[in-house]
Amino acid sequence: MAMRQTPLTCSGHTRPVVDLAFSGITPYGYFLISACKDGKPMLRQGDTGDWIGTFLGHKGAVWGATLNKEATKAATAAADFTAKVWDAVTGDEVLTLAHKHIVKSVNFTQDSNCLLTGGNDKVLRIYDLGKPEAEPQEIAGHTSAIKKALWCNNDQQILSAADDKTIRLWDKNTKEAVKSLSFDASVSSMEYIPDGEVLVITYGRTIAFYKAHSLDLIKTVDAPASIHSASLHPDKDFFVAGGDDFKLYKYDYTTKEEMESYKGHFGPIHCVRFSPDGELYASGSEDGTLRLWQTAVGKTYGLWKCVLPEELSSENSEVLYCPPAEIKA
Amino acid sequence: MTFILEIKRSSGLRFRRVLNETPVSVLRLPRGPEPNSRGFDPTSPRFIALCPTTLPSSSSSSGSADEEEQRLRAELRERFLRTLLLMTGKRVRFDMHEHVRVHARFGASDIDVLNLQVCDLETPLGVQREALLRSQDVIACSFEV
Repeated sequence: MAMRQTPLTCSGHTRPVVDLAFSGITPYGYFLISACKDGKPMLRQGDTGDWIGTFLGHKGAVWGATLNKEATKAATAAADFTAKVWDAVTGDEVLTLAHKHIVKSVNFTQDSNCLLTGGNDKVLRIYDLGKPEAEPQEIAGHTSAIKKALWCNNDQQILSAADDKTIRLWDKNTKEAVKSLSFDASVSSMEYIPDGEVLVITYGRTIAFYKAHSLDLIKTVDAPASIHSASLHPDKDFFVAGGDDFKLYKYDYTTKEEMESYKGHFGPIHCVRFSPDGELYASGSEDGTLRLWQTAVGKTYGLWKCVLPEELSSENSEVLYCPPAEIKA
Repeated sequence: MTFILEIKRSSGLRFRRVLNETPVSVLRLPRGPEPNSRGFDPTSPRFIALCPTTLPSSSSSSGSADEEEQRLRAELRERFLRTLLLMTGKRVRFDMHEHVRVHARFGASDIDVLNLQVCDLETPLGVQREALLRSQDVIACSFEV
């Protein structure tokens, strides 16, 4: 029996959701943080979307958010010229790192000891979280605002994407640019998959895959609309992308064929990420919501329940909620 | 079985998926934020496992340090509130951001001390009979007791 995807809508934000990130898998499951222009990043249980808490303290739009692997720390980048580090268990603010301009991106190293930041002042900064009062190491070179900065290659190198239409690979120790990629359009998003060293980049209508070490192109795929974000499944069999036309697209990574497209959001999609176990992916939109989508539609997982035909007509069905047919926008 | 025919932009016809698809059922919707709380439930298993020091401590020394801090905080809060009461009706000088310094007669503050209601606010543009000052713009207030 064919099943239709039921996205789970996570409400709570009052402005566009511009970034989201998953933690690794912890003994308590995995977690999801969302960055929002309302200045209040939220932590949610990753497999259900249940709200856990809101990190209060920023005085401007939050442009970037991340969690460490264990989901014990969170970091956020905001328009109030600060990056903040938070205790992701208590919700308390642990550190405020002042910058000279809007901060757009934050990323922890694998051991959570260092934080990489990048933003509109065009400089990458590396903070030692064990010595927060010490001045950060700075890496300059980009000629426009930095959109995204990520650790890669075992935290020995840094990948950065900026509005100068370049992506640069830096050596953390020498602070020199090792490699560089130039594009005709601004890069809208970047995702790094450590297992397999794959870099997923989006620009214009294109989703491109590169080898992270060498920045050699693996393949490109063109979508029907301008894409703002894409994410590759951990098993590298498919990837998802979303952008200006409000739809989520699912593609076969090997054949590059479009498998599915899903409507649901009421605004452009700004960010999309697979969960660490690959069972679902989350999208954040201009409409202020996050939606969770199943990778295997119809499978029992999280809040989704596989209901067999006999159960649907049975009076003893334990299913509490069956979504009505959606009126597509 | 029902079909819908949809004409593709490029060429040809494409059958849309059959309408007897069943939407996946869900147990419930994701829980949203609580209106009056920032969350991070201290009774959750993760909180209890990872933050043992926030539990009432068995060691008396750290317990009494917390109590002392709480007592001092309560005292400072009370002093602040009494100062606000004393300020009522008085002519107060407000030092604000961007080197702004104005005088006004203080009326009241709201419950969260986000706004200060003042009368006869002296500004370079003239005297405002009634005005609201945003607390986060105020650096200091001074007045004659």
